[in-house]
Amino acid sequence: MQMADQPIDTLVTEPEDVLAPTPPGELSVAQLEALLFVAERPLSRREIAALAGIEREQVDALLGDLEVALRDRGLRLISAGDQVQLVTAPEAGRLIARYVGADGARLSPAALETLAIVAYRQPVTRAVIERIRGVDSDYVLRSLMHRRLVVEQGRADSPGRPFLYGTGFDFLERFGLTSLDELPSLEPEAALRLDE
Amino acid sequence: MGAAGAVEISFGAGRRPEESTRVRLDVFDGPLALLLSLIEQRQLDVLTVRLGDLAGAYLDALARIEHGRLALLSSFVTVCSQLILIKTRALLPRAPQLVAAAGEQGPGDPEEELRRRLIEYRMYRDAGRLLADRRATGVWLFHREPEAALAAGRGGARPEPGPPLDSRLLADALAASVRLVPPAPPPPETMARTITLEERAAVIRAALRRVPQLVLQELLRDVTDRVVVAVTFMALLELAKGREVAIEQSEPWGPIRVTPLPIRPLSDADG
Repeated sequence: MQMADQPIDTLVTEPEDVLAPTPPGELSVAQLEALLFVAERPLSRREIAALAGIEREQVDALLGDLEVALRDRGLRLISAGDQVQLVTAPEAGRLIARYVGADGARLSPAALETLAIVAYRQPVTRAVIERIRGVDSDYVLRSLMHRRLVVEQGRADSPGRPFLYGTGFDFLERFGLTSLDELPSLEPEAALRLDE
Repeated sequence: MGAAGAVEISFGAGRRPEESTRVRLDVFDGPLALLLSLIEQRQLDVLTVRLGDLAGAYLDALARIEHGRLALLSSFVTVCSQLILIKTRALLPRAPQLVAAAGEQGPGDPEEELRRRLIEYRMYRDAGRLLADRRATGVWLFHREPEAALAAGRGGARPEPGPPLDSRLLADALAASVRLVPPAPPPPETMARTITLEERAAVIRAALRRVPQLVLQELLRDVTDRVVVAVTFMALLELAKGREVAIEQSEPWGPIRVTPLPIRPLSDADG
């Protein structure tokens, strides 16, 4: 569509030519890496696409390439929903924790099982959490939110429009997961029985 | 194990398990956590254990809960009553046709229902323990963030000390900001507002001298002060109480009509 407006020389440029300056509307894996390095917050794929002037699908493909390229490096790409972020690799965890003086505060069994329910069932309402645990979970949920392990994810359409809870980037980081797909699978026997 | 169980249970010398079980409820997480601990301590399989048999041990554990924790007890009582129901059903022989009518082991069966809840609960409890184990291996991920420098400082990593700041700089900044910010307008003069019932009653009486019937909403049409509206309404009620006026409102939020009543002779008012 825009071909007619573009100068002839950009049309004949070979995309493989790494020495040629990248015309607007393109993004290399290295540029993407640099952008994520500088960003001190998670970036959404849509945001990256808009910044670089390319399509969402291209961003997805580049993120895939970057993920592969980072495999042997000290950094990893983590994603939650539409957002991605560059983080340190799990094997560097202890070292960085010592450097930044991160606290390894332990979570109580109540907090852990509540967190597990939120992580595996998200988005989930407090009512569902309390049905599974059989006990009031207001306090434990609030303390998990205070630690940013659990975040609000909008409201359900059911009566009363209760809050929906899920996990955010902090959860992935604290448990060394690059995405929710890496969550250990639930006990298959129990999961099967509950599906009956 | 990454996370210790919430309920600590040990066995004493008694012959019956219900009597010999010692339960320490330091941090107990709920009725299902307690029931599951009782099952696991006896090394029973949650899929096959007869839940009714645990009613005694469960009650025993409940009896040991400190008084300070009684507020949490209600959630435990529900499971307790389910256990007793299950036990009762198991003890009483049931006619085969009754069992058939109840849909055999259908979803209405309290034992199967409770077992299902236990399995679901155990699934997430174990998943939580796996997460804790994972966390304990130190596989944390860190992102760059502005506070990283602060956190690093806490951890002992300190930046090169820079030259100390000149306190005159702060004083100059304050002086400059004073010049930049326009002077605040003087606060509005505050006056104590005194509105009395008598004043507002006089207003109503005066209005009623001009017209045979008065609509309260119309009288207050131009009044924006809610206190004045409220006091006028109170005054109107006072007038009605003194039988000076009659008030009528045919529907909620409808016009409040006020009509003066003829002044009665004193002897009537005394009666």
